[in-house]
Amino acid sequence: MKNVIQMIVVLTVIAVISGIALSEIASWANPKIAINRAKETEKAIFRVQPKAKSYKQIKNIDFELYQVFDQNNNPIGYAFPYEGNGFQGKIRLIVGLNDSLNVISRVEILEQVETPGLGTKITEEPFLKQFENLVTFPQIEWIKGSKPTKSNQIQTITAATISSKSVVEILNNGINKLRELKQKGVI
Amino acid sequence: MAKSNTFTYEYLKGLWDQNPVMKQVLGMCPTLAVTVSVVNGIGMALATTFVLVFSSLIISLIRKIIPNQVRIASYIVIIATFVTIADYVLRASYPDLSKALGPFIPLIVVNCIILGRAEAFASKNSPFRSLLDALGMGTGFFIALVVLSGIREILASKTILGIQILPDSFAPILVMILPAGAFITLGLLFGIANFYSISLEQRKREKIIKKYVDNNQEKVKE
Amino acid sequence: MTLILIFLSAAIINNFVLSYFLGICPFIGVSNKISSAFSMGIAVTFVMTITAIVSWLVNNYLLIPYHLDFLQTVSFILVIASLVQFVEMVIKKVSQPLYRALGIYLPLITTNCAIMGLALFIAMKNYDFLESIFYGLGAGIGFTIAIVLMAGIREELDLADVPKAMRGVPITLITAGLLALAFMGFAGMITI
Repeated sequence: MKNVIQMIVVLTVIAVISGIALSEIASWANPKIAINRAKETEKAIFRVQPKAKSYKQIKNIDFELYQVFDQNNNPIGYAFPYEGNGFQGKIRLIVGLNDSLNVISRVEILEQVETPGLGTKITEEPFLKQFENLVTFPQIEWIKGSKPTKSNQIQTITAATISSKSVVEILNNGINKLRELKQKGVI
Repeated sequence: MAKSNTFTYEYLKGLWDQNPVMKQVLGMCPTLAVTVSVVNGIGMALATTFVLVFSSLIISLIRKIIPNQVRIASYIVIIATFVTIADYVLRASYPDLSKALGPFIPLIVVNCIILGRAEAFASKNSPFRSLLDALGMGTGFFIALVVLSGIREILASKTILGIQILPDSFAPILVMILPAGAFITLGLLFGIANFYSISLEQRKREKIIKKYVDNNQEKVKE
Repeated sequence: MTLILIFLSAAIINNFVLSYFLGICPFIGVSNKISSAFSMGIAVTFVMTITAIVSWLVNNYLLIPYHLDFLQTVSFILVIASLVQFVEMVIKKVSQPLYRALGIYLPLITTNCAIMGLALFIAMKNYDFLESIFYGLGAGIGFTIAIVLMAGIREELDLADVPKAMRGVPITLITAGLLALAFMGFAGMITI
């Protein structure tokens, strides 16, 4: 009997101490984690909108969208993270667009799990550079094996066609969604 | 047996004689999973050592009041608490590293090294010995992770800690970054370690035989 | 349809052992004979499916509503440890032959990181209840496939002339590497 009581007491004491310690740690860490996350988003927004000086999140829509402003506080476009399926898993990227949604300023890949050395080339400069000043109207198109001929075209990476096509598809989906919102007058 | 060990040996045994990865084959999952780059390897080893040291210390301090039947449950709660602390500290102060290691930080809780040392050592030895033991095992784990991640990083991306070591003309061996590369590299490392141990043993044996033969020859001469 | 895809993805394409490195200890420790490997696989699958259910319930009805997410690691490991104990007791009562076959493997499962990994992944991926069950089942079957394949290869390896220094763990790891390469062939077949 004494043993059982000791068992219960010891376990309870350990559990209570552990609970208190963890809630203290969590209340110290959580604000910092939130700040880290906000900082990361901010950095990404300014990377895809190099001319922007400030930004504001647009509320009341079902995904993350930021409107960006230049130094005179004039709206110059949008930045938003968007995700979709790649070759092996989710690709999450962030894209900067001008105010009328027809030219991309820049694209950055935030998360991906593509094949190392092949699909992961979508995160590298030669591929991402193609999206700078790319026309998004009527759709972004891709071409395989030769240099792009139209202003809304990019060339897919050799041996990573599916990953490249996925990026284009994610961009088109996101931009279409934004266009709908614009037509409805929500933004 | 433990009592006969000197304090220095209590620390040093973790480095090679009882190296948790190379000799005891424990903690394989993080060893294989996070060693794509040296930075990740170091981060993982430090986080694991932190948990190992503090949980060993606490468990050793309270080893006499924990009833035998609930000892594993108590150890698990203590270990999980320190793992969560490590996880939160990393997420708050080193967000990039925390993102790279991902779910493998909470998974430290099931790293067999920690529960293994708690059960095999900290529950039977004084706090100071347990501390030395934990530090030694942590260092041993650190060495194994750094060697493995160093090999993988240099062959797959020509760099160590992000600094380019090999010339551009070297074609990167991409398989090293894939799961297959991790298994094969570790397998070869184990092979080399075994080879070393075997040859060491053989040399020792030869020495004994030689001594015996020499002795006998002297006797014959007499 | 998504359920089947989640199942296949967990079982083959994102195999826990060969692409996430979870559950390596039993994978190396208990893979020298097909029969014991198969028993281990079944025991893991069983515990994984139940873990998927219980950890989902704990996460969605306790941790999230009461903002206790800092207790996630502690509560998951306790859930797993008590589940393993419970399963062991039930099996012992219900079926002696099954207990004799699985008994020795059950305690090992507590420190099998594949189970803990499963609980964490389910929480991370925001799966709903049914999806979680299929994910757990798939991961378990995937583990069984990997460990049985490995045991099959190792039984043959026993007859091969492996250099002395490479016997045991080293050659097993290298074989696992080749298996992982083979499983990469499935990559990209299904994306979720």
